[in-house]
Amino acid sequence: MSGFLQQLINGLSIGSVYALMAVGYSLVYSIMNFSNFAHGGVIMIGSYIGFFAMTAFKMPFATAFCTAALGTGLLAVLIERIAYSPLRKRNAPFLYFIISAMGVSIFLENIIIASPIGPTFRTYPRVFGAEPFVVAGVNIGRLDVMMFVISTLSLIILVFIIEKTRTGMGIRASAYNLRASALMGVNTDRIILIVFGLGGLLAGIAGVLFGMKYTVYPQIGNITLKSFIAAVFGGLGSLPGAVIGSILLGIIETFTSGYLSSQFRDLIAFVLLIFILVVRPRGLMGKITEEKA
Amino acid sequence: MLRVENLNVFYGGIHALKGVSIDVQEGQIVSIIGSNGAGKSTLLNTISGIVKPKEGRIEYRGKELPRVPHRVVKAGISQVPEGRLVFANLTVKENLMMGAYLRRDKKGIERDLRSVFRLFPRLEERINQMAGTLSGGEQQMLAMGRGLMSSPDLILLDEPSLGLAPLLVKTIFEIIEDIKRMNKTILLVEQNAYKALSVADKAYVLEQGRITREGSARDLLRDKTIQEAYLGKVQ
Repeated sequence: MSGFLQQLINGLSIGSVYALMAVGYSLVYSIMNFSNFAHGGVIMIGSYIGFFAMTAFKMPFATAFCTAALGTGLLAVLIERIAYSPLRKRNAPFLYFIISAMGVSIFLENIIIASPIGPTFRTYPRVFGAEPFVVAGVNIGRLDVMMFVISTLSLIILVFIIEKTRTGMGIRASAYNLRASALMGVNTDRIILIVFGLGGLLAGIAGVLFGMKYTVYPQIGNITLKSFIAAVFGGLGSLPGAVIGSILLGIIETFTSGYLSSQFRDLIAFVLLIFILVVRPRGLMGKITEEKA
Repeated sequence: MLRVENLNVFYGGIHALKGVSIDVQEGQIVSIIGSNGAGKSTLLNTISGIVKPKEGRIEYRGKELPRVPHRVVKAGISQVPEGRLVFANLTVKENLMMGAYLRRDKKGIERDLRSVFRLFPRLEERINQMAGTLSGGEQQMLAMGRGLMSSPDLILLDEPSLGLAPLLVKTIFEIIEDIKRMNKTILLVEQNAYKALSVADKAYVLEQGRITREGSARDLLRDKTIQEAYLGKVQ
């Protein structure tokens, strides 16, 4: 029983970080209708910024964490301006966006490998202490708890922005129909930048958390494939869907590793993706598209 | 108030507007009639800054109108688009607040919200409902109410009667006249030529991207060729 609870908590913790990344995908997808495959590169850069802020610049964790988040927020905005904005201005087909995104992703990964940073795996300094919390006989890693708490708080803040602020209403309206939103006086260019910025902030947070959980290396961004699965699982473009899909994926993964074998973990994840695409392509809570004539 | 001069617009290789010029006087309802694909929506979308013209001038209150949608709204022109385009994932209240997106004057917004509810009492009954659950007629009302919420001086109405039952069409046109009485100027694009000419002060006929006729709505309503082509009357 305690094993079961432990797996569940691990799953929640991993799932909540997947959610940070999946929400970034979904935000961009909801407005621009393409999957931003450069997101993984942004997460990877966030991971490195956090790492070097703490090691080379000796920043305390909180400062390093914020630096990483702000850095990737800015990076995501830059990527939009350089890689997507020119395509948008030309009404390019969505395939071009995906190609551009992949280009950015490859560029980011290789610039790290080619730089003095190199392809080495690096380990974050320990921040939260090694000894686990023991609650009712269940061992819970401190890092896992912090991952869950930080991710959940970030998501709550994001939901507040989206649901309760004027800009958030503009984002929701733009997600439904960008042109109608422009007709209401929304500066859609700015909304798109804000969406990339928000996604970038969350990517930085996810990058630091994953760097701490595993290690930092140039391909760590590949982990976003999982959050992409989660976003599709929940329904691309739907934020609640992205969160629910991520949590479920996190739990399914930890249970697979715990009770079957960790070698099956990714296999199960991708089988799940194919299964959803076949059975329910719009995911659990896909974007509402009905509109009355 | 609004002067469009020699507008030329290309839509993916198609010459959609060919030297269109129109003139809208303050306080009037000006109708543009024409068949499907004549370029009516393109004209409104060009004024709204959604479509960029290749050539031509759009002047509003004596100044060149900006070519960016949100600046056009800021200048005092709102559009109620064809097919309503209400935000189905937002509530009725939120849709109306989207109309007031650029405004900061809380009191003015509150006042305009009350006047929209006076015009469309049905919307107040459904204030917290998702717009996607409204009927077609209600969505049209919401789109019009939303268009009023930016407190525009000029409203561009694109096919407000499209797909509505005859009784609702009558209601919508009564409301268009109510909006005129609120000191708003209206540029109306319609396939329902009879209704559009009945409420208008002035009208233009748009055919294959060209203005072929213009004049007072009353004269056009009596004109034999117009009657044959657009009003379905056989002489």
